[in-house]
Amino acid sequence: MTDQTQPLLRFTGHRHLAIRLVLSTLTGRPIRISNIRSNSPTHQGLQPHEVSFIRLLDSITNGSKIEFGMSGSTLVYRPGLITGSAEGLGASNGVLNHEISKECRTRGITYFLIPLCLLAPFSKSPFNILFTGPGCITSATSSGDPSIDTLRTAILPLYKNFGVDRNLEIRILRRSCAPSRGKLAGGEVHFVFPHQIRLPRTLHLLNAGWVKRIRGVAYAIGVSGSNNARAIDAARGVLNKFVPDTYIFSDVSSAPLLPSPSDSNDPSGKTKGAVGFGLSLVAESSTGCFYSSDVASPPDGGTTPEDVGKQGAYQLLETISQGGCVEKCAATTVLVLMGMGSEDVGRLALGRDVVGSEEVVQLGRDLRAFGGAGWGFRDGRDEGEVVVSVVGRGVGNVGRKAA
Amino acid sequence: MAPTLGKRKRVTREGLEQSSHLHSPSSASSNSDSEDVQDIFRRAFEAKFKPLDVEPQESKITEPEEEEEEEEEELEEDSDWSGISSEAEDEIEVIEHSTTRRLGDRLSKAEMRAFMSSKPPTSTIQTPSKPTFSKLAKDDDPTEASHLKNDLALQRLLRDSHLLSSLNSPSASGNSTPTLSLTGSSRHKSIDLHLQSLGAKSSIFTQKSMPMQDRKRILSKATQREERRRAEARENGIVLEKEKRVKKYVKERAKGVGGPGVGRFKGGTLTLSKRDIADITGGGRSGKGKGKGKGTYGKR
Repeated sequence: MTDQTQPLLRFTGHRHLAIRLVLSTLTGRPIRISNIRSNSPTHQGLQPHEVSFIRLLDSITNGSKIEFGMSGSTLVYRPGLITGSAEGLGASNGVLNHEISKECRTRGITYFLIPLCLLAPFSKSPFNILFTGPGCITSATSSGDPSIDTLRTAILPLYKNFGVDRNLEIRILRRSCAPSRGKLAGGEVHFVFPHQIRLPRTLHLLNAGWVKRIRGVAYAIGVSGSNNARAIDAARGVLNKFVPDTYIFSDVSSAPLLPSPSDSNDPSGKTKGAVGFGLSLVAESSTGCFYSSDVASPPDGGTTPEDVGKQGAYQLLETISQGGCVEKCAATTVLVLMGMGSEDVGRLALGRDVVGSEEVVQLGRDLRAFGGAGWGFRDGRDEGEVVVSVVGRGVGNVGRKAA
Repeated sequence: MAPTLGKRKRVTREGLEQSSHLHSPSSASSNSDSEDVQDIFRRAFEAKFKPLDVEPQESKITEPEEEEEEEEEELEEDSDWSGISSEAEDEIEVIEHSTTRRLGDRLSKAEMRAFMSSKPPTSTIQTPSKPTFSKLAKDDDPTEASHLKNDLALQRLLRDSHLLSSLNSPSASGNSTPTLSLTGSSRHKSIDLHLQSLGAKSSIFTQKSMPMQDRKRILSKATQREERRRAEARENGIVLEKEKRVKKYVKERAKGVGGPGVGRFKGGTLTLSKRDIADITGGGRSGKGKGKGKGTYGKR
């Protein structure tokens, strides 16, 4: 479906790789990314998690062509049609399996899922993907990926604004923490996205409202549930003063068991996965905007649950103080969906710090490179707010065109 | 309200200055003047509020709760507290809610399930409103329930009365004590009657399949019996219920799909019978029935 004669869009560097690949797939423009960590002597080229993401992209699309350079520092991607978990294209019984290898354990599952959620509404058939493997981490990671609870409770509800809300599901079958050296993660997540649309609705989100409730999930994996209680108590101690309607739920699960990789003489042997605890907080405003925070215990341990709870609460307060209708980790999602909408001007109030963040600035440049109209900015109603006007591309779902 | 408050304030300011001395054990042997004054104040207070115990009240209250005890002690310390004055307004009252555990700490299970499910939580979680009427019904439970029970029993008794009378008649059975409950085949009959009254199409006793001749004989016997009953009644001058006439089933005209709504389409022409025309024009039906019937018959 891609035009071979279409000129390649050229990018450099390893940063923003996932979002560039997503934009390429959504717009149908082939891209060439060069100089991927070309100067690094130890980790040259694509990292394992990036390769895993490209493989995932390959399995949910039909007709994509991916070419790597010899050293892995150059990538040419010609996108195909987004087919989702279509039968006969890698999916068995309607479920696509994606195993994340243990080399990918630096990034959480949301590294894969947030871009995937962007592709899913524009697919031809529903997304139904099962993530497994020793590199599948559901908790927040130190590399900045939010936990899967945050994705489910703070980012997925935003899709409702675009008219995508039917039966979206993220089933956390097994929780897992970021592993320390030598350990494995071994989480299991079932991602179901059955609502496909022609065009996302035009969004006008200008009034952030005020925070009316705070919810959260405290998770303890392979450690005592009292860690949860302590983290919750500390977080509530900070937040109760501001919002009395604060409730944090506790989820205690055992450490996942994984087939032992080292013991070659015992094939049925199992090892215990990583242990730890963490906290995901979500504040909801009166107008349906979400702010979230995520803290997890570091892989090597050494933090008390009280510190985690307190840090999570302060982080949430910081996110709220940045203002705007969309927080930083969800801004990419919302802005891309707006850019893929109908040829209409959508408006979104964002906090200044959110607009000024590296991801958002680079996203604006990338969208222009992919042929989108530039964004318009003007001052918002509040002091720290900027209203971003985004014109949609008006192409929408190519796979749904005929339907 | 305001003037009364002001009055009260004035009274307490003066009263407490002296009563604080009086309450202290050292001034137990007090002069009669101050006692009178205290009495007056107490009467005024009791007219406004609840009658108050004089001596042992403080110790009684302060025993169970420690926090209040501390406050009381503080109050006792500055004994020259003289009511609410303008100086007290400068002080800022600080109330701290530092405890994170509260009574309503736990959310309802439904809300938890809604949040912790695999789906993204909906922004509006409706707390299921408790049905208030059930509580009202529960209040007068014993009488209402018994009324309902009696009502049902009475209805059943009325429905089964003829079955019971035939059962309890001495000719039917030898037992002497009449019973109010049905057993055996009569119970089945009662159930059948109930079902029919509720709208069953046929009795449960009608046999589904039987030889045609038997069925015909039963039906003819039933009509015969009915006719005899009607004839006897007519002779005796008894007015019976109106006879039910069974409507003959008239088959609807089978129209093909895409066929004409009226008439017959044959050989490329739409043929309208006289009856069709009469239906369309809607007039002069009388007197033409004979001819019309003949015509249609002849055509076929």
